[in-house]
Amino acid sequence: MCKDYVYDKDIEQIAKEEQGEALKLQASTSTEVSHQQCSVPGLGEKYPTWETTKPELELLGLNPRRRRIASSFTIGLRGLINLGNTCFMNCIVQALTHTPILRDFFLSDRHRCEMPSPELCLVCEMSSLFRELYSGNPSPHVPYKLLHLVWIHARHLAGYRQQDAHEFLIAALDVLHRHCKGDDVGKVANNPNHCNCIIDQIFTGGLQSDVTCQACHGVSTTIDPCWDISLDVPGSCTSFWPMSPGRESSVNGESHIPGITTLTDCLRRFTRPEHLGSSAKIKCGGCQSYQESTKQLTMKKLPVVACFHFKRFEHSAKQRRKITTYISFPLELDMTPFMASSKESRMNGQLQLPTNSGNNENKYSLFAVVNHQGTLESGHYTSFIRHHRDQWFKCDDAVITKASIKDVLDSEGYLLFYHKQVLEHESEKVKEMNTQAY
Amino acid sequence: MKMEEMSLSGLDNSKLEAIAQEIYADLVEDSCLGFCFEVHRAVKCGYFFLDDTDPDSMKDFEIVDQPGLDIFGQVFNQWKSKECVCPNCSRSIAASRFAPHLEKCLGMGRNSSRIANRRIANSNNMNKSESDQEDNDDINDNDWSYGSEKKAKKRKSDKNPNSPRRSKSLKHKNGELSNSDPFKYSNSTGISYETLGPEELRSLLTTQCGVISEHTKKMCTRSLRCPQHTDEQRRAVRNFFLGPSAVLPEVESSLDNDSFDMTDGQALISRLQWDGSSDLSPSDSGSSKTSENQGWGLGTNSSESRKTKKKKSHLSLVGTASGLGSTKKKKPKPPAPTPGIYDDIN
Repeated sequence: MCKDYVYDKDIEQIAKEEQGEALKLQASTSTEVSHQQCSVPGLGEKYPTWETTKPELELLGLNPRRRRIASSFTIGLRGLINLGNTCFMNCIVQALTHTPILRDFFLSDRHRCEMPSPELCLVCEMSSLFRELYSGNPSPHVPYKLLHLVWIHARHLAGYRQQDAHEFLIAALDVLHRHCKGDDVGKVANNPNHCNCIIDQIFTGGLQSDVTCQACHGVSTTIDPCWDISLDVPGSCTSFWPMSPGRESSVNGESHIPGITTLTDCLRRFTRPEHLGSSAKIKCGGCQSYQESTKQLTMKKLPVVACFHFKRFEHSAKQRRKITTYISFPLELDMTPFMASSKESRMNGQLQLPTNSGNNENKYSLFAVVNHQGTLESGHYTSFIRHHRDQWFKCDDAVITKASIKDVLDSEGYLLFYHKQVLEHESEKVKEMNTQAY
Repeated sequence: MKMEEMSLSGLDNSKLEAIAQEIYADLVEDSCLGFCFEVHRAVKCGYFFLDDTDPDSMKDFEIVDQPGLDIFGQVFNQWKSKECVCPNCSRSIAASRFAPHLEKCLGMGRNSSRIANRRIANSNNMNKSESDQEDNDDINDNDWSYGSEKKAKKRKSDKNPNSPRRSKSLKHKNGELSNSDPFKYSNSTGISYETLGPEELRSLLTTQCGVISEHTKKMCTRSLRCPQHTDEQRRAVRNFFLGPSAVLPEVESSLDNDSFDMTDGQALISRLQWDGSSDLSPSDSGSSKTSENQGWGLGTNSSESRKTKKKKSHLSLVGTASGLGSTKKKKPKPPAPTPGIYDDIN
């Protein structure tokens, strides 16, 4: 008797089968769809960890070469050929394929296609893209199929011309979301807002809009889903940019140099109470009349991946130009001050400083930056992406080079991608991935 | 651990120690045991060391961080020859030109609707008589430009390829050649050489790449330094059309300079003792037409001497180039005449 724990094959097999049965039972009787412990929707099957059999062990022993996604390895990085003014698309692809949670989803092959013709499914193409980009192949990939599919499914983007990366991102997310039908755990058919596809789970946040009637102080609240936050930047002729004196510095650890706008400044402006003025009176339900009001935007629900978009391209009646004002953005971001729950302290004009508590729920890490060089009419997009904890790379179409954190933080910034540091347990599908981003 | 009702105050230190120790051990076990079992199981079943990387692989996939190289150790900008297959028409297309191709292929481009309309119009006219075809010729005359060469090519292929009428209509358009919209020019995918007259071909080859694509059977309209084709290919094309004496215009040093050196051209012309009028000025955009009218006969099939041919091809370069130089802003500078000419003349 060796007194050691033993693992008997037959008993394990029986255990596995019984477990599977139990889960199936659970799935079919469960009314709370979000508590389903299965990753394959509707089938009640659990994805077990792969455990090698004896012949597999032997084979692996004979073939010792391994390809791993590990730091200082090129696996996971690959250039993209420019198909003719498609640098905007290449940057978004780089950002999406380096989104940790999305990477885990696709590399574990979780997409189940239910499109009538899979060759037209953008999610399938996305899956294929991940395979290509993580293959370790040093020669750049030609994303012609992706372009073709996007043009078919998002007609407004079709055409050989320079385009906006942000517009492409939103359109791509929209098509992916529409094609994700097969992965839904339980999409309520009549309510599109309750879609549970991977895109919505990752990118959709809830933007709360509170309109306060100035007469009766009644508040009317609506929550809209959003995939990104578009921020005004100083220097545009239409926006009014108040720099309140005595504001706190380094709310988010940004190097606060007087005169330099930070991302936090932009967010603060975005979430400030705004008086709507006498020309925009709202009908108040409480007073039953048209009254002046103030409106305030805050985040009700934070997405797993937050995308910030600086409105640098001005298309006003006066002029069309690009605003190149430098805006400093941090590596780590705490969204707590901009939540709906922090509103009371905002009313007094104070910005609630995040405490050093263990509450990491609202903390984000930067993982991708898309930059634009040039003018409104003609320019070039490049991106910085984060690979592993502290390695950054510059992606310029087919050429990937190593970059320093300083390069990234000094860049102008057009689209910023932040990933939640710790994932919450509200969604079973998300939890199952066991992802700890950085 | 027993759940006893105990009063902690009555215990001595050692007992408290023991209790604290037990609690501590419990907590440690709770947190580690799961992990320990996992590792134990992995070792016992033999898959614990499976995903260790071997040193060979580590070297293969190591990130390179040197100036001028990407992370794979490759030099920048070597990917011009990448190709892909169009999902719509199944043709093999150069990757960097895929987007403009797809736009036309799917019928989304600016010219696509015009091209489509013409095709419809042409298919309606196919059944008509010869005279009607002539009418078509005239109707379409005003729209001749390289940007719409596709529709023109289609139109021509409907007719008798040996029709003398065709080359005549082309001759009239020679002047327009140099006036054609540079942007349309650069967007066209190629020219079908069958439709071109010999003098047109010659002038074309002096300013464009001209290599015939295997897939489309059309000539490349990009610059003489177009990266898609090699100099070898360009020489071969000129060889094929203009005979073994054809010279590939030298462009290496002069491409970035947009200004055309007028004085060289003028000096050359005077030295060559042009038969024709001396009022040829470099800024005359109709100069190529002029040269033709002067009986240079670049279009004739006369068996000229080798020397003459070379001389003429370069002069037509000068002629056309000067025309181009005045009207276009973005055309690369045409090559300065090579010393070889001077040798021949003297």
